[in-house]
Amino acid sequence: MTRQLILHILIKLVRMCDELKIKFMKKLLISLVLAVVACGSTLLAQTKVITGTVSSSVPGEGPVIGAAARLKGTSIGVLTDVNGKYSITVPQNSTTLEFSFVGMKTQEVEIAGRAVVDVVLETAIQGLQEVVVTALGISREKKSLGYATQSVSNDAVTSVKTDNFVNTLSGKLAGVDIKANGNMGGSTNIIIRGAKSLTGNNQALFVVDGVPIDNAITNNEGELTGRSGYDYGNTASDINPDDIESIDVLKGAAASALYGARAANGVIMITTKKGSYQPGKSVGVTLSSNVTFGVYDKSTFPKYQQSYGAGYGPFYSDGAHPGLEHYVDVNKDGVIDYTVPFYEDASFGEKFDPNLLVYQFDAFVPESPNYGKATPWVAGANGPGSFFQTAVSTTNSIDITGGSEKTTFRVGYTNLNQTGILPNSLLTKNSVTLNGTYNILKNLKVTAFANYINDTGKGRNQTGYNDNVMGSFRQWFEVNVDINMLKYLFNQTGQNVTWNRKTYNNPTPNYWDSPYWVRYKNYETDGRNRLIGYTQADYKVTDWFSLMGRVSVDEYSELQEERKAVGSVAGEFGVGRPTVTSGYSRLTRNYLETNADFMATFKKDITSNLNINGLLGSNVRRQKIDQVFESTNNGLSVPDVYALSNSVDPMAPPEELLSKIGLNGYFASVSLGYHNMLYLDGTYRVDQSSTLPKNSWTYQYPSVSGSFLFSELVKQNWLSLGKLRLNYAEVGNDAPFASVLDTYVPVAPFTGNPLVTVPNTKNNANLKPERTKSVEAGLEMNFFKNRLGFDLALYKSNTVDQILPVTVSYATGYAAKFVNAGEIQNKGVELKFTVTPLKFSGFQWDLTANWTRNRNEVVSLEQGIENLQLASLQGGVTINARVGEPYGTIQGTDYVFLNGQRVVGPDGYYLQSPTSDVVLGNINPKWKGGIQNVFSYKNVSLSFLIDAQKGGSIFSLDQYYGQATGIYPTTVFTNDLGNPVRNPVIGNPTDGYDPASGGVILKGVFADGTPNNIRVAANDYRLFGYYANPNSAFVYDASYVKLREVVLTYNFPKALIARASIAGASLSFVGSNLWILHKNLPYADPEASQSGGNIQGWQTGTLPAVRNYGFSLKVQF
Amino acid sequence: MKAKYLILILFFASLVSCTKKFEEFNTDVKNPAAVPGEALFSKAEMSLVDQTVTPDVNLNVFKLISQYWTETTYTDEANYNIVNRTIPDDIFQQYFVGNVSKQGGFLEDFKEAARLIGLENPPTPADDAAKTNKLAIIELLNVYSFQNLVDIFGNVPYSQALDITKIAPVYDDAATIYQDLLTRIDAALGNLDATSASFGSADIIYGGDVSKWIKFANSLKLKIGITLSDVNPTLAQSTVQAAVSGGVFTSSDDDAVLLYPGGIHSNPIWSLVVQNGRDDFVPANTVIDLMNSLSDPRRSFYFTLVDTSSEQGVVKLAFSGGIYGKSNPFTKYSHINPLISSPTFPGTLLSYEEVLFYEAEASARSFSVGGTQRDFYDAAITASILSWGGTPDQAAAYIAQPSVAYATATGTWQQKIGTQAYIALYNRGLEGWTEWRRLDFPIFNMPPSITDYSQIPKRFTYPVNEQTLNKTNYASASSAIGGDLQSTRIFWDKF
Repeated sequence: MTRQLILHILIKLVRMCDELKIKFMKKLLISLVLAVVACGSTLLAQTKVITGTVSSSVPGEGPVIGAAARLKGTSIGVLTDVNGKYSITVPQNSTTLEFSFVGMKTQEVEIAGRAVVDVVLETAIQGLQEVVVTALGISREKKSLGYATQSVSNDAVTSVKTDNFVNTLSGKLAGVDIKANGNMGGSTNIIIRGAKSLTGNNQALFVVDGVPIDNAITNNEGELTGRSGYDYGNTASDINPDDIESIDVLKGAAASALYGARAANGVIMITTKKGSYQPGKSVGVTLSSNVTFGVYDKSTFPKYQQSYGAGYGPFYSDGAHPGLEHYVDVNKDGVIDYTVPFYEDASFGEKFDPNLLVYQFDAFVPESPNYGKATPWVAGANGPGSFFQTAVSTTNSIDITGGSEKTTFRVGYTNLNQTGILPNSLLTKNSVTLNGTYNILKNLKVTAFANYINDTGKGRNQTGYNDNVMGSFRQWFEVNVDINMLKYLFNQTGQNVTWNRKTYNNPTPNYWDSPYWVRYKNYETDGRNRLIGYTQADYKVTDWFSLMGRVSVDEYSELQEERKAVGSVAGEFGVGRPTVTSGYSRLTRNYLETNADFMATFKKDITSNLNINGLLGSNVRRQKIDQVFESTNNGLSVPDVYALSNSVDPMAPPEELLSKIGLNGYFASVSLGYHNMLYLDGTYRVDQSSTLPKNSWTYQYPSVSGSFLFSELVKQNWLSLGKLRLNYAEVGNDAPFASVLDTYVPVAPFTGNPLVTVPNTKNNANLKPERTKSVEAGLEMNFFKNRLGFDLALYKSNTVDQILPVTVSYATGYAAKFVNAGEIQNKGVELKFTVTPLKFSGFQWDLTANWTRNRNEVVSLEQGIENLQLASLQGGVTINARVGEPYGTIQGTDYVFLNGQRVVGPDGYYLQSPTSDVVLGNINPKWKGGIQNVFSYKNVSLSFLIDAQKGGSIFSLDQYYGQATGIYPTTVFTNDLGNPVRNPVIGNPTDGYDPASGGVILKGVFADGTPNNIRVAANDYRLFGYYANPNSAFVYDASYVKLREVVLTYNFPKALIARASIAGASLSFVGSNLWILHKNLPYADPEASQSGGNIQGWQTGTLPAVRNYGFSLKVQF
Repeated sequence: MKAKYLILILFFASLVSCTKKFEEFNTDVKNPAAVPGEALFSKAEMSLVDQTVTPDVNLNVFKLISQYWTETTYTDEANYNIVNRTIPDDIFQQYFVGNVSKQGGFLEDFKEAARLIGLENPPTPADDAAKTNKLAIIELLNVYSFQNLVDIFGNVPYSQALDITKIAPVYDDAATIYQDLLTRIDAALGNLDATSASFGSADIIYGGDVSKWIKFANSLKLKIGITLSDVNPTLAQSTVQAAVSGGVFTSSDDDAVLLYPGGIHSNPIWSLVVQNGRDDFVPANTVIDLMNSLSDPRRSFYFTLVDTSSEQGVVKLAFSGGIYGKSNPFTKYSHINPLISSPTFPGTLLSYEEVLFYEAEASARSFSVGGTQRDFYDAAITASILSWGGTPDQAAAYIAQPSVAYATATGTWQQKIGTQAYIALYNRGLEGWTEWRRLDFPIFNMPPSITDYSQIPKRFTYPVNEQTLNKTNYASASSAIGGDLQSTRIFWDKF
């Protein structure tokens, strides 16, 4: 060690002498150096110093700070300083330097005896030398890969800050279907090349520096199926985007064969930022600060009709105003007064009339300014839109990097604070990352990484049909209600003062609590503490053989607490989901995954034109989930005390899960490269999984891939890159935990007698592994020095022998049975297109477009079974896997047709199909695409991303019920006779209808084919909504075009900031989800859903979309 | 260098032994892998009673179908729409499998209980006799459950039901199932030995009292027999007579009831009417108008009084039922009596007064059951009034009214017995509907959704699930019964 230090000092002195031109001194020093070197045997022989400047080819960018200059094939390297300058000491006989920087093409430069080597780096647009991170964190030259990958840099996930970086990838990656559901802190679906598993997980695997990261969606069954609950997000959102250096997406099975089963859905490979050593500078600091404001997007929230108030029809009293109740003398003046049918959560009642005075809900609350007063019968002055507030999100981060010759380190800290558009909501996130490397020996490097994350959530939005404020606003509401009055009365009383009281003299809420009560009293809180870490040792045994060992851990504990205050409307809550009026529940979840990886790699040039890379490795994975869900029973004894001990009745037994999974994997990979033109890769993996029966828990699978760089053969100037690739791969997969052996389910004892029941799903002791087989071909071409390029991929994957709980006739005694059955096929095309249409004198326009078309088909299920129900949802709609159809068909009732016309019944309403298994649509888009434009001119750049989806269907429960409750403008119009449609029907089909009649004659025919001539009333809940219309009437096309992201950045001129010792600074205006340019779903965001996961295509009570805009400042020291 | 390779080899070799714990890993340690059959039996008994008494519209909608109750705002079910909520699916699920919150599924639990008990090797002859009794008791509750399924749907999966190796079971002919149910009761009766023990306290209905189960067996046999009387009078007569001579219930003490302890195991009526805070149901005018016309003393146990005055300052308390099938403001009508919606209100499977009404009918059909129709009729009404908490005087006065007295009450014996049985079965939705279907009395109201009296359901349509998961057998069952319609009659419903 000492020797190296001495050498280093000596070399520095030599350089000083050079500068001071003290020749004799230099000679002396060099001889000393030689002497020292001679003492050792392996270190530097004669050395020389090379200096130079690294600059960018992009006009205006100037020098590249922090670029790596490395002696090729060695670990000798330095980074450029703030002026892009470097100085490297290399052995005298060195020949080639390698310069690299993220987002730029790595360049090799012959030293050719020079002392000064200046380099201009080009932006990497699919360059030949691009390096990508592949399975297990192995870096490979992209040209050698026989499968599709796509990379994005840090910018893609940090320009616009959100609580879930996955959302910011939307539209930026071909073949990757990202669906943010709009819930605050909610779970985002990320599905690569289509759903492959019928009932299992279809989400991509997240890997950080080679270490798999848990991405669970812990939402319970009731939440996932749209009953009620909160969306607690997907746990990969813990990854701090500021820690991300780059993201590589491995899309196909071949790319991920080495990861085993979990990677069959594709992998999001994340490389974290590392520290670096810059001579002359020990520490680099970057600060960034971001504030964004969010406002709800009005196009994704209901518009309300403004003509009729509370009620379901004109039947509450007799006389002039049958839509109002007329039974009580409220003010005791001897005259019966008009009161609202408060208990009705609909707006099919009395027509508004400002001259009609009515006692409304606020007339019975002493704190109300309208106490004891009848008020004009008009639409509420402030509709539900006024419930939303401006969301504010701040993100602050600091990033410190540095190092010495033997060590590097990076410390990152990010704090995020975000309030939502709903009152009383807050998300916080704190993330600390430590990353260090230490070269213990010259051929032994140790890396350690630790990331501690603390998340908290409070007041996430309710989801689902029940107990959801948005459900009320979208489906069940009285438009006479003034939201600001509810706010005022809640603030005044702290009580559940609802518009939906039972009667004038009974303030108990009937179906709906005051929305303010819900937000301030029935809120949830949650928190997660997580540690992700690994230690890795890289040992270079010889120059062609290396060993790597790594131990990693991903551990978190999570607590989800839900509350229902005493005095709330009864709703499903807690263990077993009984309907209660108050309660407290808590879910604790502890997760631990450890991985031990061992890998031996070798690399050899067999001849000068033929080289071989090999890899032999093993992975030992252990995963444990320990989860307990418990709740009070039959309410809270003492109000506002949220403790399990405050249960009215003894607690029901908690729901417990202890899941342990073990997997041992052994793998080998060989790649051959010929003339840097032909590459051939083969991999083979053997897995042993604890979730399978003993006789089948070992299984193997291979992959083979090849790439052909025909541009090397053609060698034309206009063709920068031409590459063909082809691969075939198989990936095996194991079973869910505990699906082999049968157990019983205990139930709370009955007067001392133990109770147990047989579970609903029959396990299977004969399961075997399932398998995905995929084939992919690709063509990648770049032209005119990479100004124009495309990457085309065609793929097909079949997942067979799926392990799934196939639904069976209830008469078997079970609802489902685990079997190996079923096949899903995904076929698709991905296209990435890049072009720089304009580039002149400091101005540049870059355009990147992604387009994906995936065709998904359920090829087969268990023999004799045509349909597998994934979920049965409110409204009688089911989401299914049906043979011959894409995965995720939306099924329900349809109209009955006769010669293409809808058939009406004898009552004049539409007939509905007798069964509810008619396929009405499916959840899969026809295609998805994104176009990103970047305009840059000197210090200013503007980028915007347009993201589109064509096709896919969605069932709107909001419309299904909301049309029936008459809140939407579509339930108020002028009918064919020129009258308000809600006027009563006068007349009959035989004698004809009065010219003043309301109602409509539905377009259609009777069963005998004669045209419908019955006018049906539109003044009650029957006509428009669920009652007299099939499910198909509420299935919408989920297409959209969105302006997803806009970033306008100003880079402060270096000259301006250098004096303040600032290396770089930029200020950006950022916006996300700014504008939905096109959609077909009324009053809602077609991307919205209750949760991530397989159950999509159905919507109820979703939050409106939020438009975010704000500023971001970044300063580097 | 060689040492390093050795380490490498050792490392790989060490992995081989790593699968040792794999079976342990994949064991669900939070749930038992082995349990006594008794625990399954207790659970199944409770679930069967839960399902029988719950007024949850999703699971058991018969209090609405039989017009004892009606709905306030959302009137789909009172208008005989059972498809919107896929109620038939839920009923199938409750009987065979259980629902997501792991309740119900008693047929599978009974089957598993019988399998486990059957595997036992009792050490003593006394234990062996108890084992035989246990298996016979399970049989009786299987018979009870399957009769309900047949009475709801007609043909149902039976001979191939509850067999996971047959994922698409065939449907059996309803009449054939009935015959087999009788065979099973007789077999069970042959095995029941009142001098031996059975489940003991694990039997949460009779506490293991085999003599009660023998009475239950005969009473159930009577119920099945009487149900057959229109379609197969010969078999009905022999069955009924054998049942009665074998010994049916002789007092309300014999009733098959579950005493709910409250708390987690509360009567489901309480959960649905009180706990959830909703005002979905009110008693229907069908039953209240009828009982008002007879000044029935049971009204004050069945319903609450409501102020029906339209005059300012004048209170006029009365029993007033919601108009069946219409939208009914909750406050305007009588409510369900708190007695019935108490958490500890007992749940009934089969009762003494029910047996007496069957005997009255048997007598009216000239079967030899040891009494006159009038005696049984009077006894049945009296037993009913007393069991609800009425007094013998109230009962006597009630029966003495010409409108009630067997000799003078209006109509045929079907109308007399049908009307009184309907009133007595107020809290027994399915039985009430069955009595209406068999005897065609009382006259029901027509909800707004139907235009013809014949549209009142005679059966439930099959589950949607069966249409998709058991297509072929569903199709043949549908055509065998004459169409999967609500208007198709169950085989015993000849008139």
